[in-house]
Amino acid sequence: MSRNHRRAQCGIAPPDLLGRLAVEGDAQQREAAVRALATSAAIRSQRAVMGRLNRQLNLNLGQMIGFTVNPDRRLTIYDNQTNGRTFLPGVRVRDWGQPPVQDEAVNQAYDGSSATYEFYRDVFARNSLDGAGLELVSSVHYGVAFDNAFWDGAQMVYGDGSGRIFQVGGLTRSLDVIAHELTHGITELTAGLVYSKQSGALNESFSDVFGSLVKQYSLKQSAADADWLIGEGILVPALGKALRSMINPGTAYSGDRQPGHMDDYVDLPDNNDPRNDNGGVHINSGIPNHAFALAANALGGFAWEKVGKIWYTVLTTRLRPNSQFDEAAQATVDVAGTLFSATEQDAVHNAWKEVGVLS
Amino acid sequence: MKLTIRRGGGLAGMVAQTELDDRSLPKTDAEAFAGEVARANLHEQPEPAAAKPWPDAQLYEILLEAAGPPISVHYTDETLPESVRLLVAWVDGRPERVESIEQ
Repeated sequence: MSRNHRRAQCGIAPPDLLGRLAVEGDAQQREAAVRALATSAAIRSQRAVMGRLNRQLNLNLGQMIGFTVNPDRRLTIYDNQTNGRTFLPGVRVRDWGQPPVQDEAVNQAYDGSSATYEFYRDVFARNSLDGAGLELVSSVHYGVAFDNAFWDGAQMVYGDGSGRIFQVGGLTRSLDVIAHELTHGITELTAGLVYSKQSGALNESFSDVFGSLVKQYSLKQSAADADWLIGEGILVPALGKALRSMINPGTAYSGDRQPGHMDDYVDLPDNNDPRNDNGGVHINSGIPNHAFALAANALGGFAWEKVGKIWYTVLTTRLRPNSQFDEAAQATVDVAGTLFSATEQDAVHNAWKEVGVLS
Repeated sequence: MKLTIRRGGGLAGMVAQTELDDRSLPKTDAEAFAGEVARANLHEQPEPAAAKPWPDAQLYEILLEAAGPPISVHYTDETLPESVRLLVAWVDGRPERVESIEQ
C-alpha cells in the first residue's frame, strides 16, 4: 500500500480510530494518522482526541500547529457538564460569532478569550496563541465545584469554584485569569519555559504580566491607575482580595507567601508535594512580577506600550526553556535599549535592581 | 478510618486540606465512605509522572489512615485517576468534612 493511500484512508477514518492509530500504530500509521488529524476539519469537534494526543504522545502545541485549519473560527466554548478530564472538552455550546447563550460562564469565557485575542492582535500584531490563528478552545463547568482553572497544553479549563476558596462563578468572571491561562499557551509556543522552580516562576509571571495588561487595556488604565492585582474579587472575601499583587507581593490574601525581592526567595523542591508548588512557581513569581510593575510605574503611561512590549519581545524571542531570573532580567534590559531609549533601559534595569535580581 | 486530601499549586498556589473521619459519619454513611475508598483502590493506583506539567494544574496528596500502615499517594489534575477523582468529589460533598487553608 502506498503511503499516499494510507493517508487517504486515514482521511475518512473516525477521529477516535485515528487517535488510536496515532498512539498504537506502526511508524507509518502514526505519521499518517497525525497528519490526517491535523488536516481534518473534524478535529475541531474532536478536541478530546487532540488532548489525548497531547497527553499520550507528548506532542506540544507547536507540533500541532497544523490543526489550525479555519482562521475564521477564532474561539469555541465547550461545557464539561461537571465531568472531569476524561470528558474534555465536553459539549460544544458556543461557536465563534454566535450570540450569547443563557449560561453566563460560557459567555464570560467567550468574552474573555475574545478580549485576550484582540489584545494580542492589536497591541503586538499576534494572531492568536501561535501567531497563525489557532482556535482558542475553552471548557467551563469542569468537575464538581472545582476550585481551579488551568491550561492543559491544548485548551483552557475552568471550574465553577466551590464557594470555599473561589467564589462560585468567579474563575470565568475574571478577565485577567482568562488572559493568564491563554498566555500559558503563548509561553508554551515560544520560550517554552519549564514549569519548575525559576523557569516555572517566570512562566507564571509572564502569565500574570499579560493577564494584568489585558485587564488594563480593556479598562484603558495607565500604570498609575492599575490595581496590579491578579484575580481581584474571585476568592471568598474571608480569604482575601485577590490571588496576587504585582506591586505589593505577599499582600493579596491571608497566607500569601509571595516575595517581592530575591532576599526573600523561597527555595522549594519540585517533588510533587502540594505544599511545594512545583518548586514555588506561584510563590517566587512575585519577584519578576514586582520588577514589571516597578518598571511600568517608573515609565508611566499605558504599561502595554513600552514595558509590555519589552516583556513580550523577551518572552517570544529571547528566552529558552530553562531561562532563570537573571537571564530574563538582562534580556529585558537589552531589549529595552533596542526598542526604545536609555530612559526605558534605565527604568527596566532599576526595577530589576530594586528586586535584587540585577546589581 | 480517616482520609486527608491536600491540594496545592493550581491557579492560586494555595495549599488547602480536607479531612473526613468515618467516626464523624452516621453508620450507613460510614459504610458508604468505606465503599468509596475501596472503589478508589488507593493502594493499587500508580502515581504516573506527568509528561509535561499542565500550568496551574493542582497537585494532590491523598493520605488514607485505616487499619495497617497509612497509604499516601500523589497526583495532579493531569494524572488523577477517575476513581480517585470520584472519591475526592464524594468527600468534598460531605458536610462532616473539615477544611483548612494552610498558611
